[in-house]
Amino acid sequence: MPLSGSFLQELERIVGADGLVRTPEGRLVYECDMHTFYKGAPDAVALPKRAEEILEIVNLCRRERVPIVPRGSGTGLIGGAMAPVGGVMIGTNRMDAILEIDLPNRCATVQPGLINLSLTRAVASRGYFFAPDPSSQMVSSIGGNVATNAGGPHCLKYGITTNHVLGIELVTGSGELVRLGGKAAERPGYDLLGTAVGSEGTFGIVTAVTVRLLHTAEAVKTILASFTAIEDASEAVSAIIAAGIVPAALEMLDELMIRAINEGTGAGYPKDAAAVLLIELDGPAAEVEAQGDRAARICWERGALEVRVAADVAERALLWKGRKEAAGAVGRLAPTYLLQDAVVPRSKLPAIMRELIAIGARHRVQIANVFHAGDGNLHPLILYDDRDPDELERAKAANEELLRACIEMGGTVTGEHGVGLDKAKNLPLQYAEADLNFMYRLRRAFDPDAIMNPGKLLPSHPACGEGFRPARPRVPDGAWI
Amino acid sequence: MPVAARSIGAAFVTIAGRDRVRDDAGSLTAATVDGLRPRWVVRPASIDELSRALALAHDGGLAVIPRGAGSALELGNPPSRVDVVLDVSGLDQVIEYNSDDLTITVQAGISAGTLGALLAPHRQWLPLDPPGVAARTVGGITATNASGPLRARYGTLRDLLLGVRFVQADGVVTWGGSKVVKSVSGYDVPKLMVGALGTLGVLAELTLRLHPLPDTERAWLVLLGSAQAGQALVERLVDSPLQPSRVELFDASALRLLLAEPASAGVAVSIASVAEAVREQGERLSAMAKASGARIVPLPDEFWSKVESAMAPPPGFTVLHVASLAGRLADTVSAIEDAVRAAAPRAEVRLSGGASLGTFRVLVGGASVSEMAAVTTRVRAWVAEVEGSVVVARGSVELRRAVDPWGPVEPGPFALMRALRDEFDPGRVLNPGRYVGGL
Repeated sequence: MPLSGSFLQELERIVGADGLVRTPEGRLVYECDMHTFYKGAPDAVALPKRAEEILEIVNLCRRERVPIVPRGSGTGLIGGAMAPVGGVMIGTNRMDAILEIDLPNRCATVQPGLINLSLTRAVASRGYFFAPDPSSQMVSSIGGNVATNAGGPHCLKYGITTNHVLGIELVTGSGELVRLGGKAAERPGYDLLGTAVGSEGTFGIVTAVTVRLLHTAEAVKTILASFTAIEDASEAVSAIIAAGIVPAALEMLDELMIRAINEGTGAGYPKDAAAVLLIELDGPAAEVEAQGDRAARICWERGALEVRVAADVAERALLWKGRKEAAGAVGRLAPTYLLQDAVVPRSKLPAIMRELIAIGARHRVQIANVFHAGDGNLHPLILYDDRDPDELERAKAANEELLRACIEMGGTVTGEHGVGLDKAKNLPLQYAEADLNFMYRLRRAFDPDAIMNPGKLLPSHPACGEGFRPARPRVPDGAWI
Repeated sequence: MPVAARSIGAAFVTIAGRDRVRDDAGSLTAATVDGLRPRWVVRPASIDELSRALALAHDGGLAVIPRGAGSALELGNPPSRVDVVLDVSGLDQVIEYNSDDLTITVQAGISAGTLGALLAPHRQWLPLDPPGVAARTVGGITATNASGPLRARYGTLRDLLLGVRFVQADGVVTWGGSKVVKSVSGYDVPKLMVGALGTLGVLAELTLRLHPLPDTERAWLVLLGSAQAGQALVERLVDSPLQPSRVELFDASALRLLLAEPASAGVAVSIASVAEAVREQGERLSAMAKASGARIVPLPDEFWSKVESAMAPPPGFTVLHVASLAGRLADTVSAIEDAVRAAAPRAEVRLSGGASLGTFRVLVGGASVSEMAAVTTRVRAWVAEVEGSVVVARGSVELRRAVDPWGPVEPGPFALMRALRDEFDPGRVLNPGRYVGGL
């Protein structure tokens, strides 16, 4: 939908000429996020510097019924920060200041465009860190982390973004600037903050975030164990958890992934390993020491081929090296891949791994796996050659089947990446009509005109305007006279 | 069309069975809420019955008060109407326990004590310890977002509730969240239901994240000359690598009930981990206390259950929950003491607080309604400075008429809350008037 000249003039008045991208080449940069499957350039990109500007833009768009797409660094993996129906994209990159660091209350307030890692860098020397650590943390914005409720390898122990957000300032789709939550631990009324975190820009756009800071752990211990069977590695995971150990991270790589990594950078995993388990413990030194020994013993007991314990920071980095390069390493196996983010109950890991092999065989695609084993969050990479349309179709079919298998085992379609455009169609696998209907109505309270990031998070509904209609229970006959 | 009470009663019986619908004077009087006697007490045995009972109440324009163990009925505004007390304590089944996954799905009416006994043999627990926890239902703890000293390490149900099945005001059974420990598919509906006092739906089934029971837990009490000294100690503690699971501040009158020896203030610190780490952290805590000239005493295992009874309100006492900031611990204690001294000079105060969080539980006895209202207002005025809050967690119906038990909510968020309430319960079937701002 082309925007009118007067609309664009108004937009330029709000953000200034240097804060408005109008040219086709300029807009093209914003046509997709890291899920490059989904493309849709906005009709204009506004790059505000202040919350008040965002408020004005939202109210302008509301008046003119123009869709708004919020965007941080565009590193999402779900087709969230792209404009399927055009409209105005609001990029928060120019709002990247740290507004306050409040160590006595162990929190910081930042603008949404601040890069995740920048916050930890700003407080590290004083012994603190910001816990959510998505793999994109060197480039992803905290506003984006809040929108997608991002996770990361260390969320097994520390929780995902929502567990670390104390307050936000939000411009709602109804054009109001509201503060939800805050530094104090309690606030009477509904937990609007908890509901808004992870709403993927469909409630509004965040203009400031107050986050919790944690004290840096005294000790860290990283252990790498290799196994000849993925079942053994999965059992080791269960045994570690059953022993009451909550590692900071518990990551697994499967055989295909190990091969890809070994052929590439040479992380030096044993050649006949079918599974590699990376265990990281942190906390008080005595606890880490005792639990590390116990975890290593459990791995040996489950038939580990090899157990390596990092002795220092350099060795720790080496053990993580392969894991961190996993996504890049599969480039050696196939030109491209579909990345999934489904979750199964941890105890179902061996079963889902068997199922994945069957699904891959059925659709004649290779599936490499790297995943957060501690919480059952899978990241299967379904490899395909994008020059072969048939292979793409097979990869997509395998993808859908895989999601269905995870749901059947009691899981969820996304553990940490979010829904976006990519998985909106999959939500009915997991939710009944009544559940989706509740979510539509929830959204309406924040964004009555449905202008905020349309098409994302919720599937488009069959009954126009009304959303899904749940069946009501029957009231007994004869209740009325 | 007018609705006949007799036919509604008969319909409840059709839904839940004769022995699960009470309308005799004794039962109704026992179920009185803030002086309002219901017309029926309905105790559904299944989610289906719960759903149909709510649909009936909805269509009949009845006001419904959901009740678990009945321990938080003095929370919130007195309801504007009461027709049905919906007793969910009959929904007490365990649906699915996956100990390998550290998750459990239970019906909302199960008591925390029953749940704890079921989990203990697996060396797992739901780490929540609000006062009187064992008798409370898990649904009630969720609806009121109640917590205790363990919040310092484990958070509240906000951090532990993974999935929730609830029944909306019109009887529609709805599910939100997931059954796995990590999910971001769709909106975080569980968080919306935590602390909503059942006003957006009656909680029916909860999927909870469990934690492993620590190998060992030991606690120490640091005795201090003032709240100021307590704050200094807590600051050193949280700025250290120590990982306490409870850090609780007590005033002199709370200490008198807990310990034979008098002190102006005390901070109890509990460490839970493997035995070596507990011992080692205990030594560091001792060093920390001694360096600041304070005395430290080891505490017996039953200390935390003593805290629970010491901080349970005797008859006639009011309970305030004060949320301030950890960095203003001592100031908040002074503000509370000053407010009582000024507004209710003859009153008795007992105080404990989540010292690393800046939250307080304040018991006040011997104050008249107007004095207590004035105390509440004064403390509220002070915490407004740090954007905190004061909630009357327990108080007489007269007090909760004299002063808003929730305190103010900013207009922006309140407009959203009202929009949600209007969307999901426009007829105000569920807990009418009890929630914030009379919602």
